[in-house]
Amino acid sequence: MSTKIHWTLRTGLTLASILITSMALSVPSARADSVGWFSHPDKKSPTIADGAIPVAAPVSIPPQETPSAPPKEQAAKRIPLRVKVIDGRTQKPLAGAEVVLIETGQRLTTDSQGLTGEFNAPVIRNPKYFPLVAELHGQLGLIAYKNGYRDSVHLGVRINDGVPANTTIWMYKIGPLDRRIEPVLYQVPYHRLWLIELTQRFRSKTQPGEGPQRP
Amino acid sequence: MKRYHWVPGVAAVMAMAFVSLTQTKTVQAAATLDNTAPPTIVRVAIRENNPSGEPDPRGRIVWVQTVPFDEYCKDVLPNEWIPSWKPDALKAGAMAVKMFAWYHHLHPITMDGFTYDVDNTVNFQTFRYLSNQPECDAAYNAVKNLAYVDNNGAIIELNYRAGTPNDPNWQYRNAQKMAQWGSEYWAEKGRTYEQILQFYYLNRLLRGY
Repeated sequence: MSTKIHWTLRTGLTLASILITSMALSVPSARADSVGWFSHPDKKSPTIADGAIPVAAPVSIPPQETPSAPPKEQAAKRIPLRVKVIDGRTQKPLAGAEVVLIETGQRLTTDSQGLTGEFNAPVIRNPKYFPLVAELHGQLGLIAYKNGYRDSVHLGVRINDGVPANTTIWMYKIGPLDRRIEPVLYQVPYHRLWLIELTQRFRSKTQPGEGPQRP
Repeated sequence: MKRYHWVPGVAAVMAMAFVSLTQTKTVQAAATLDNTAPPTIVRVAIRENNPSGEPDPRGRIVWVQTVPFDEYCKDVLPNEWIPSWKPDALKAGAMAVKMFAWYHHLHPITMDGFTYDVDNTVNFQTFRYLSNQPECDAAYNAVKNLAYVDNNGAIIELNYRAGTPNDPNWQYRNAQKMAQWGSEYWAEKGRTYEQILQFYYLNRLLRGY
């Protein structure tokens, strides 16, 4: 009885290995080609005729259902962003300040009215939030430099799809009483409509907190 | 003697009647578009963050900033509506932001030694100085010389709340508040800002000034 089972297993394994090898030889690159996101578009997949060593086709993993970025961003939208730099205490425009858009490295200088030209600003949303609650606006970072002033960092500057944006950076003059001089950070808050959506997404019935918004 | 127990009671009633008849009642006329000038400024109470630098909706009032009325509305709108929304949603929002501020300018508050119309938090409307955006400015300018008032011209508070995305938000109409997401929903359906306002606020008039 045990000899029969042993013979059956051996035969089955042999047949299976022949079948796998023949499949690999007859369809060398079809599956690799089917994974479009995996192969380089300009590079032709090697075939047996080219002298390539036949290897087992890679496991076809379908792309994830959830893209890593919101659909709107995938269109690589860019919008004009204009920055105004003012003295934080007098609130008068500062000419000659250099403003850098962190995400692109683009650098512009302010004119006599404290205004830069237009940055070509990408609409970048934080991808970690997209599978949960898509951000309603992109966010960018800016740094302003001017001699005699503290560096000013503005993070989270709101950038909306398809419409131009403005923002104002406040800079603070370095005075004789300033002993430790470091950059000033301003974090632009998220839009309140998005915060409402975000908190609603995770609200539980057992501890609803302020509860869903009602009219 | 027992027969005259009713006399003090009658006297008291008569005295009360006399007082009520002679008392001059102060009747305040409703502030309307016809008897009030459009505001030129708004007094914004700036609230202090907590010691950790985080916002406190009931934080101490640090000072009251006087802001030109138009500038105030333009610095509120992008923080309440999304600047990339449809122009008519933004115009409806601009009208609500303006009438809300106008109403509160006529009804200031005095607290902790400060007199102010609004504060800079969601207690009233979210205000960030110098945060105006081009699309929102255009929407505000489009409705700048218009007011959305009661049938008799009274300046009323146009209230609004976030609402639910992709939904007409009928329940907000029932509560006479505009749903912000609802304004975008209707604008995407092709409704004008007048129609959006009419949907959420019943029995109101759009008037020029």
